[in-house]
Amino acid sequence: MHLAYTPEQQDFRAEVRAWMEANVPKEPLVTLEREDGYHQHVEWERRLASGNWGMVTWPEAYGGRGLDLIQWLIFEEEYYRAGAPLRVNQNGIFLLGPTVMEFGTDEQKARFLTPMAKGEVIWAQAWSEPNAGSDMAAITSKAIRDGDHYVISGQKTWSSRASFADWGFGLFRTDPESKRHKGLSFILFDLNAPGVTRRPIRQLHGDPGFAELFFDEVRVPVENRIAGEGEGWNVAMATAGFERGLMLRSPARFQAAAERLVKLFRAHETKAAPAAREQVMQAWMDAQAYAYNTYAVASKIMAGGHIGAEASLNKIFWSELDRAAHRTAMQLLGASAELRHLDGGALNMWLEGYIFSLSGPIYAGSNEIQRNIIAERLLGLPR
Amino acid sequence: MDFIITEDQATLTQGVRDYLAGVHGPELLRALDTSDSRRSADVWRGLVEMGLPGLLVPEARGGLGLSLLDAVLIAAELGRAGVAEPLADTALVAAPLLAKAGGQDALLGAIAAGEAKVALQHPVNPWVADLEDASHILSVKNGALLLTERSGDSELLDSVDPLRRLYAPVAASGVDVGSADALLDHAALIAAAQLVGVADAMLEQATDYAKNRSQFGQPIGSFQAVKHHLATAVVKIEFAKPVIQRAAVALAEGTASASVHVSHAKLAAADAAWAMSETAIQTHGAMGYTYEVDLHFWMKRAWALAGAWGDRAFHLARIDAAVIGGALPIGPGHSFA
Repeated sequence: MHLAYTPEQQDFRAEVRAWMEANVPKEPLVTLEREDGYHQHVEWERRLASGNWGMVTWPEAYGGRGLDLIQWLIFEEEYYRAGAPLRVNQNGIFLLGPTVMEFGTDEQKARFLTPMAKGEVIWAQAWSEPNAGSDMAAITSKAIRDGDHYVISGQKTWSSRASFADWGFGLFRTDPESKRHKGLSFILFDLNAPGVTRRPIRQLHGDPGFAELFFDEVRVPVENRIAGEGEGWNVAMATAGFERGLMLRSPARFQAAAERLVKLFRAHETKAAPAAREQVMQAWMDAQAYAYNTYAVASKIMAGGHIGAEASLNKIFWSELDRAAHRTAMQLLGASAELRHLDGGALNMWLEGYIFSLSGPIYAGSNEIQRNIIAERLLGLPR
Repeated sequence: MDFIITEDQATLTQGVRDYLAGVHGPELLRALDTSDSRRSADVWRGLVEMGLPGLLVPEARGGLGLSLLDAVLIAAELGRAGVAEPLADTALVAAPLLAKAGGQDALLGAIAAGEAKVALQHPVNPWVADLEDASHILSVKNGALLLTERSGDSELLDSVDPLRRLYAPVAASGVDVGSADALLDHAALIAAAQLVGVADAMLEQATDYAKNRSQFGQPIGSFQAVKHHLATAVVKIEFAKPVIQRAAVALAEGTASASVHVSHAKLAAADAAWAMSETAIQTHGAMGYTYEVDLHFWMKRAWALAGAWGDRAFHLARIDAAVIGGALPIGPGHSFA
């Protein structure tokens, strides 16, 4: 164990910092859950790509820089330090990207990864259905083979980014006679294809952050399927592992929130409830613990290891620390917490953040599902 | 930058775990509980033969010259096995302090040989563990750390942990070998490391019980209420471990902020172990409330170590000064500040 950055890593940090200082928008963007904000965030993705920062860990051939996971963590730290916008393409770059990298053909990698890294195609996820939420194996949306196409019919819901995004990915039943985990395939589709209807859903904050998708005999080429027909469940589980595990929520995000929370506490110290002081310290400690653990996971993967069911530990930890930190901020703000804009008219980011943090323990597999996974797969308790 | 436990470290740790599982199981704890001294010369001889007292003694003095990172991994194994011998205090706390102080070659050699034991006295604790078993005492006066040979006895105090041997503090004296703060940081770190081992042991016991105890025609471990209690405890335990490792490296390297990281480690480990103890007794049901089930040895050790070497208030105050007070840089980019 060696907990110091090499001169090369320090140089890399300086390079990222300089670029971010020169390029991060001075004014915060409108939320990416609204159409105007969505387009602002797409512009930002393309600006990132112009600096070749789209997805630094990917091979150069696919629009990346071929960097290792420690460098990725440094990049993320500088990204959040600079207060850079949220990644509107996170479903693409953090979930689908690693999936295509692991299971896709060379042709699929070239076709999907490069435009993803460049911010040219923005991706939505399409996992859940009205009757397949935590029980994802209950999926009924069908993709029936017709020559060199699949014909998709059915419905998806809670589809993040689908109100405005270009493409989607999800699981569909390619064997109509199959049950549960069998007979599913992982298929990518154009959200603007004939037969796709999007119905935006207003989220808790009032903006249409996700959508319902209706498929009415949507024709999708067979080459849009990732891995073999009927192998979709295993591919999706790997994607879910990426989501819960390392990449979707980098520690820098929570370290930034903890830092802001400490500053908020100092400003409200004289009227803060006694417990708030300890909660603020806990937020800093938990963000740091999450950072150490992420460095440990990154080091393990770089040494040839992999992350399995322990990804569920991460997902519980970051989602619950995020909710607790924002709840503490709401309580510190007291009667101002409900105001959508604070002094000077700036958006009340603690309120926005608290609302978003409430989704953390639900999405990417609810924390109840994660606790089942821990109990059954890490502890070996009976199903 | 790499945050990784090497294969050598994992192998050494596993070796200690396997050895202790063989000679230091619950049967031994129950036997010690009914003995007068609560200590076993045979067990100590075995620990010495394993080379454990000399782990952190420099190689030139007959030890293995291992690091504080190795020490926290071994300390967790002592906690897991419920070892109450003064091994952790002597080998994992006193030895590195004496090695750093210099001029203590003879004593270090005696520690490595298993012939000397060092009791640790600090004003943060109202007791001294294993005083009458010790050949030497490290104590504190005016912020300085003093070393002396033990002479005379002290009043035996009664701990709820049947295997801890606690004594009233004695007058501090001896030669200056360092600072009181260094003793506190090293001892708090090793207490934190033992606590995660204690927690892991309770997790294993509760998990085994949940697999084997049936109600309503099925193992209670198949019920989500039980699964989720245990899973919540696992999250706390697993996220305390990297904090302890980070603190060990900071303390070994003399990082200015090391004491903040030690406090974080102690708080995280005590929280995890205490939560695990309540989860474990709940999982065991009425059996957990008896002296017949072994769980109580570890549960009581968790209470004891959680309060030892700085309680919650003590360690939170150090975090407070650094984080809210602003002495420590925080935020993204300061993961290892």
